[in-house]
Amino acid sequence: MKRQLALIDFALGGLRRRLGKSLALTLGLAFVVALFGAALLLTDALRAEYARGTGGMPDLTVQRLVAGRPALIDVAVADELAALPAVRRVEPRVWGYYFFVALEANVTVVGATEARTLADGRLPAADGEVAVGASIADLLGLRVGDEIGIPVEGEVRFSDVVGVFGEDAAIRTADLIVATPPHARRLLGMPEGSATDLAIDLTTQDEAGVLTERIGALVPGARVLDARLLERTYELTFDTRGGLLALLLLPALAAFLLLAWERLTGLGPGERREIGVLKAVGWGTADVLAARMWESAIVATFGATLGAVLAYAYVFWLDAPGLLDALLGWSALRPPMRLVPAFDPVQGFALVAAVVIPFVAISVVPAWRAAMIDPDQALRGGE
Amino acid sequence: MTPRLRALAGGLVLLAALVAVALVDAGRRRPRSGPDHEAAVSLGLPDLVLSSAERWLRHPSQAEPGAAVSDLPGAPDVDPAGALIGPPRAVLRVGGVEPRRR
Repeated sequence: MKRQLALIDFALGGLRRRLGKSLALTLGLAFVVALFGAALLLTDALRAEYARGTGGMPDLTVQRLVAGRPALIDVAVADELAALPAVRRVEPRVWGYYFFVALEANVTVVGATEARTLADGRLPAADGEVAVGASIADLLGLRVGDEIGIPVEGEVRFSDVVGVFGEDAAIRTADLIVATPPHARRLLGMPEGSATDLAIDLTTQDEAGVLTERIGALVPGARVLDARLLERTYELTFDTRGGLLALLLLPALAAFLLLAWERLTGLGPGERREIGVLKAVGWGTADVLAARMWESAIVATFGATLGAVLAYAYVFWLDAPGLLDALLGWSALRPPMRLVPAFDPVQGFALVAAVVIPFVAISVVPAWRAAMIDPDQALRGGE
Repeated sequence: MTPRLRALAGGLVLLAALVAVALVDAGRRRPRSGPDHEAAVSLGLPDLVLSSAERWLRHPSQAEPGAAVSDLPGAPDVDPAGALIGPPRAVLRVGGVEPRRR
């Protein structure tokens, strides 16, 4: 223990004597760890945020395809499907999109049947009422009690705003206009007796595969989507985007490792003389190697930890400016972000394996080469 | 203990403090479960408000499997929302409506 403390003390002295090089390596490592860590933290947080809301999704969603494109479906089909075994409930859903020029964005109009209270107001219970998302309310200056007019078939239809979703739910509701199904149908210009799709709840999700086939045979042109398939799609989407982002950062990692290799292999005359003196006064090769490895370990510990904290601060305190745009695109109704960390230990190990271990690994060879220097030649200034 | 080892110990304590601050902050950021979140989940929407510029917008169920360039589950993002720079806004205005407030 005492011996190792003495070696650490010597390693610290070496780091101090080569302060510029030590700082460059520590900051370089911190920067690379912060870049990769931010991409991982952001992807994990978004994936967890998505998973938290999947409980409300219907087990199966039935839509109709006409000429390969989604089309409106007849509400009467719901009764046929409700008679199938393992089907608990079939609900025709009404929803669609509107492009608001003032917002330069698409809003999603949704028909909702459940009466629920919000922190500010409630969900609509009568025709002519709407609840709006935080971003829409913010951009149009809407509050509970105001009216919003939406042009429908040449005529402006005004609706009372009875609820505004808070920022807590913004990641799901920022672009929503929620109305009763009949009112949503009017706002969207949909004919009576039609729905956008049918939401089916099953008694057991295990029956989804069998029912998908039966519904396909029963309803011509039906396309049945399994909730588990949609969840998988989203996991893959986040994985793909996060992976592409990490891929873009690979040159930064390569550049850092190259810098580290160049810095660590280039032994100056001073360092050679130092090692020569140490070996001349009795230090063994193992001691010199250990001292050099302690130097790398100290740099790796400080650089990696500092990088991880920087990544956390960048993602959760600063809302990842720049990186979030690359990951999410340019949607105009971006919700205010308040991401919740969802750290996956496997990702942590992946980060250490991708950045820290290569750094430590490339420091082994230079350390060994330094330790193998012949003291006589080193003191004489030879190679 | 030498001054250098004391400095190292101080540095390690500082690092541990930084990590502790991040961990405490992470612990405080609990997932929201207020009435707004419950109401949002009850709507059964399959997506987050992150992709309102997709071809299928907020609903992956609206992907068109019969289209020439179809969206596939897990396929790399082929739409412009995956880019840092969007298309000219004028392209999007076609067919849009102007909401009014009173």
